[in-house]
Amino acid sequence: MSIVPKDTIHVIAQSIGISNLQDDVAAALAPDVEYRMREIMQEAIKCMRHSKRSILTTDDVDSALRLRNVEPLYGFASGDPLRFRRALGHSDLFYVEDRDLEFKEIIDAPLPRAPLDTSVVAHWLAVEGVQPAIPENAPIENLAVPPETKRGDAHGGGPRKEDDGAIEVKIPVKHVLSRELQLYFEKITELIVAGSDTLLLRDAFLSVATDSGLHPLVPYFTQFVADEVTRGLEDFPLLFSLMRLVQSLLLNPHIHIEPYLHQLMPSVITCLVAKRLGGRAVENHWELRDFTASLVAFICKRFGHTYQNLQPRVTRTLLHAFLDPKRALTQHYGAIRGLSALGSRVVRLLVLPNLELYLHLLAPELSPETQQNEMKRYEAWRVYGALLSASGACVYEKMKAHPYSLPTVSTSTRPKIISPSRKRSAGTDLGQPSQKKSHVEGGLLASDATGSVTEGRNFDGGEGSSQAEDVDGGKSRGVESGSMDDGGRRLGVEANRSNERKSFSLAEAWKEDVDFGSLLLSLVDLFGDSMLPFIPTEEMSLFL
Amino acid sequence: MEEEKIEQAVLAYLKKKGYRQAELAFQDEQQTHRSLNSSSGGGGDGGGGTTNPSMDPAVANSIFLYARADGTLYKEGYSKLRSWVHSSLDLYKNELLRILYPVFVHCFMDLVAKDFPQEARLFFQTFREDHDTLHLRDLHKLEGVLSPQHLQESELAVAFRENKINIRMCQYSFELLLQYLHSTDSMLMLGIVNEHINIQVFPGQPSPLPEEEEAITLTGKPQEALDSMNQKELRWGTLEDSLEDKLEKELAAEAEKAEAEGKETEADDMKKRTADGGKAGASSKKSKKDKTGTSATGKGAKSDSAAAINAPRVKPDLPMPSLAEETERQVLEDLRNRARLGSNALPSVSFYSFVNTHNSLNCASISADGALVAGGFSDSSLKVWDMAKIGAQITSGDQGTANGVVSNGVTEPKGVALENSKSSYTLLQGHAGPVYAANFSPDNDYLLSCSGDCTVRLWSLRLNANLVCYKGHNYPVWDVQYSPVGHYFASASHDRTARVWCMERLHPLRILAGHLSDVDCVQWHVNCNYIATGSSDKTVRLWDVQTGECMRIFTGHRGMVLSLAMSSDGRYMASGDEDGAILMWDLGSGRCVTPLLGHTGCVWTLAFSGEGSLLASGSADNTVRLWDVNASGKTSRTEEKSSGKRRLRLLKTLPTKSTPVYALKFSRRNLLLAAGAFSPLKTSVMTG
Repeated sequence: MSIVPKDTIHVIAQSIGISNLQDDVAAALAPDVEYRMREIMQEAIKCMRHSKRSILTTDDVDSALRLRNVEPLYGFASGDPLRFRRALGHSDLFYVEDRDLEFKEIIDAPLPRAPLDTSVVAHWLAVEGVQPAIPENAPIENLAVPPETKRGDAHGGGPRKEDDGAIEVKIPVKHVLSRELQLYFEKITELIVAGSDTLLLRDAFLSVATDSGLHPLVPYFTQFVADEVTRGLEDFPLLFSLMRLVQSLLLNPHIHIEPYLHQLMPSVITCLVAKRLGGRAVENHWELRDFTASLVAFICKRFGHTYQNLQPRVTRTLLHAFLDPKRALTQHYGAIRGLSALGSRVVRLLVLPNLELYLHLLAPELSPETQQNEMKRYEAWRVYGALLSASGACVYEKMKAHPYSLPTVSTSTRPKIISPSRKRSAGTDLGQPSQKKSHVEGGLLASDATGSVTEGRNFDGGEGSSQAEDVDGGKSRGVESGSMDDGGRRLGVEANRSNERKSFSLAEAWKEDVDFGSLLLSLVDLFGDSMLPFIPTEEMSLFL
Repeated sequence: MEEEKIEQAVLAYLKKKGYRQAELAFQDEQQTHRSLNSSSGGGGDGGGGTTNPSMDPAVANSIFLYARADGTLYKEGYSKLRSWVHSSLDLYKNELLRILYPVFVHCFMDLVAKDFPQEARLFFQTFREDHDTLHLRDLHKLEGVLSPQHLQESELAVAFRENKINIRMCQYSFELLLQYLHSTDSMLMLGIVNEHINIQVFPGQPSPLPEEEEAITLTGKPQEALDSMNQKELRWGTLEDSLEDKLEKELAAEAEKAEAEGKETEADDMKKRTADGGKAGASSKKSKKDKTGTSATGKGAKSDSAAAINAPRVKPDLPMPSLAEETERQVLEDLRNRARLGSNALPSVSFYSFVNTHNSLNCASISADGALVAGGFSDSSLKVWDMAKIGAQITSGDQGTANGVVSNGVTEPKGVALENSKSSYTLLQGHAGPVYAANFSPDNDYLLSCSGDCTVRLWSLRLNANLVCYKGHNYPVWDVQYSPVGHYFASASHDRTARVWCMERLHPLRILAGHLSDVDCVQWHVNCNYIATGSSDKTVRLWDVQTGECMRIFTGHRGMVLSLAMSSDGRYMASGDEDGAILMWDLGSGRCVTPLLGHTGCVWTLAFSGEGSLLASGSADNTVRLWDVNASGKTSRTEEKSSGKRRLRLLKTLPTKSTPVYALKFSRRNLLLAAGAFSPLKTSVMTG
């Protein structure tokens, strides 16, 4: 009847030396014991409430005992949980572990560390009803990605709404940074601006890439990067450091960088396809471009699925830079590197179809006779190398994927570079789409012409044209043919053949099931033997 | 046949009780009686009086009852009643359901009193589920009661025994109940209902929307007395000649002067005025720093229509202390610069986190200007931090520029007797038990603290020394609070009393007795004529300071009342309990305006904003919540008759970083100051 069993009473009686307790006495005592215990606990709970705690401690029980004029239980200091041990041989008998302590040990033991003294810290829980995102406040995840942005994305108006810090305007949050974060930010930016590639800088980047709790700083970092890139295009080490900072931010798993991507991307693209990076020509801006290209690829890979239009926009911008003959070779280089970093599919889709044409353009720059400026020539060779490795990597991958059939047509007799022919009869197969698309492309080129180095910032240009380049077979084909048409540099051979054979190996490289042998052969045509190292050895044997 | 049954019952009773002689005598007599009966054939009036054929069945029943004399009868009776109630008409069910709990409690206590612990426990376990949702805490307390002696000791059991429970039901329900009890001969249940339940019958239909979760609370007074008590006249207005009053008058005079000079008030001011005039809320009255607002109130004093806007002025019953001119000037200045708050203008909250408290912080208190923070600890110590000084040391850009956090901390440098270079606080030692509450005087010169050692101590913050030790309570003192004008203070204790003191006397001026359990918190009314107390008996009471009489009893809480706050116009009171519920009361009518539900832990602290438009609550669930009080104020004022019980709006929830909120205070400029002990859970991982 009582939750205290009689046996317990017996055990307690034995523990204080009463061995022959009558059974009925124990039975009579049990309910009273239960009542007293409940009483004490009830009082203890009162004490707990008035100590403003929600966990009952031994102190509370002691206070309750004192309230009832009972001697408190000594020896159960608050804080350390009691360890109960099961008595040997009894399944339901427990005792509190009470170790023997050696005085000597206690005296010899080093003093424990003094507990920290109580202190009071003040911070803003809310400023006019809005909680600032500071470490002292509870972490608020939804502050990082404000609902407005998400909604904007959801109903499709994505790119425009995200533009240029519009989010920052929308958030009514007054950022209050803790002193620590402010200091951190200052230190990091100082280091980057100082620009020496020291060990310290490396550690700083590591810290940015790994530390949690940096989220409040992200908007400041993105702003910093944007400012410094526009300001410091002449300063090569600075740019490199900035890109490394971006990389670190991207790598940090504790940061939600997505809302700030749209601010970061223009800076990154600028570092990839800018006309001049760094003040002096000797500086190795090629390396920076390579690094940035990998960065772009990383971003597209990581956030491509959340931002559907991210990669199309990036590729569009790069393609512009690549296809515009007015651009400097350095820009072409950056664009090619960027495109190739995005994967072989992109290369097949966008680079290879334009390859022949482009090489044709490039040829005069390569030879010392036509291009006297050695610097220019060097750049041209750089571009050539980039193209080579891009198409080579593409071929290599393709070959790996499809252990290959032999080429069906021999095009080896084709001359390497053929003089341009202005004649082009609109083939029946291409007529319809090309006409439709050519004016689109015309518009594109026109906008390209006006574009400058910072075109990368013009990130969300015409939506229609960006779709045109989307991974949509028919359209992109139209674009290619149109661009060739417009540029007026169509290859005569192709023009001649277009009537009899409907597939150009290069122009149709975007097709998954393209006749690969012919593609390879045309590449070999264009690049000569330097393409051969890209062919896997076993495949090579087929050709040889 | 009836007769035979009774005889059997009597026999059984005698047998059971072991009255052998009587049993034999009874049997003998029975024999002779029977033979006599059969021989004479006449109905003689034999011995024992048991032969009366026209005996009242009720008497027989009760004899029968005693004869069976075991616990099962209660169980049977109660379960029958229960199933009857549950199967009764829906319309009356809600009313009838209310009697089940008191009947249950008394059945259980009867069983215990008659020394059937086993049956009592069985009965309790069988039916407790029905009441778990509404009365869990009471059930916990009752559960352990297992012997008659416990009944006399248990606070709750005594309260149940000594007080009738008030239940309102309509005429028809009452008749239904009586009919049932009589027709089924459940004398036991009838007896309990008669003895312990005070059924108030009201004519007409049961209310269509029954307050299904109406709490049954013992008040220690019959309902009539309660009603008459809650009818007593209450002068809930603000204090006459208070500083706010002065300021208002001053500004009104200014405004009039300005108006006399010319009507160059700008267009938007005009708009504001019309808005203010249209709004019959308390806010317009409080718009002191707004010239136009005060001009409106100034006029309102004259015109009848606007009179309702103003809280009435009330003369103090107590002799009032005089304020130093310097502080008066300062307070007036603060009031002038008070930020207006409302549902659109939320306050800034400055949070004082106590770190490294090792779970020993029992209470926190913030001075009126926010410059001083006191913490009471379980190791009997009291520590006072001067945030102005700390702010100066850090020279932090954030806190330094805060409007009013430290800028108006014009307090002179304190004696730094106990201060050393390392610790930034002043240590006040003197108590011999955990410090349960601390409170700054309005002028920041003194600090009061109360403790588990049954004393209240007065500390001087200029000398950093203990001035007086007030002894009077016999048990730990849970709460202490200064009156709004200082000088007087009130304390609440485990000894079920609240006491009123003044600083210069060692003995209490008044003892406010009447609560059935601990008095847990105490709060002065703004006009100093009343004191509200919250108790573990789940009631809040309002006492007249002058007479010591209880003026109001507010019932409705389901747990112990932990915090109280008074609105600045003196009309409303908010109380928070251990379940996280906050109730808003209209002092005038003694009714609950509306419950504020949302907190999931004990509500440790409540605070009204300076002009009374916002209520802030701090809780053990690590949040500060802001409630829009204006809405309800208007509702109750204009739609009181139409019983518009509108929910107050929760404006904002401000979560802290695992810091239960111990204290909240609106500074005179309406900055919300909060304090709590940062207590990270050991298992929790910091997210960032």
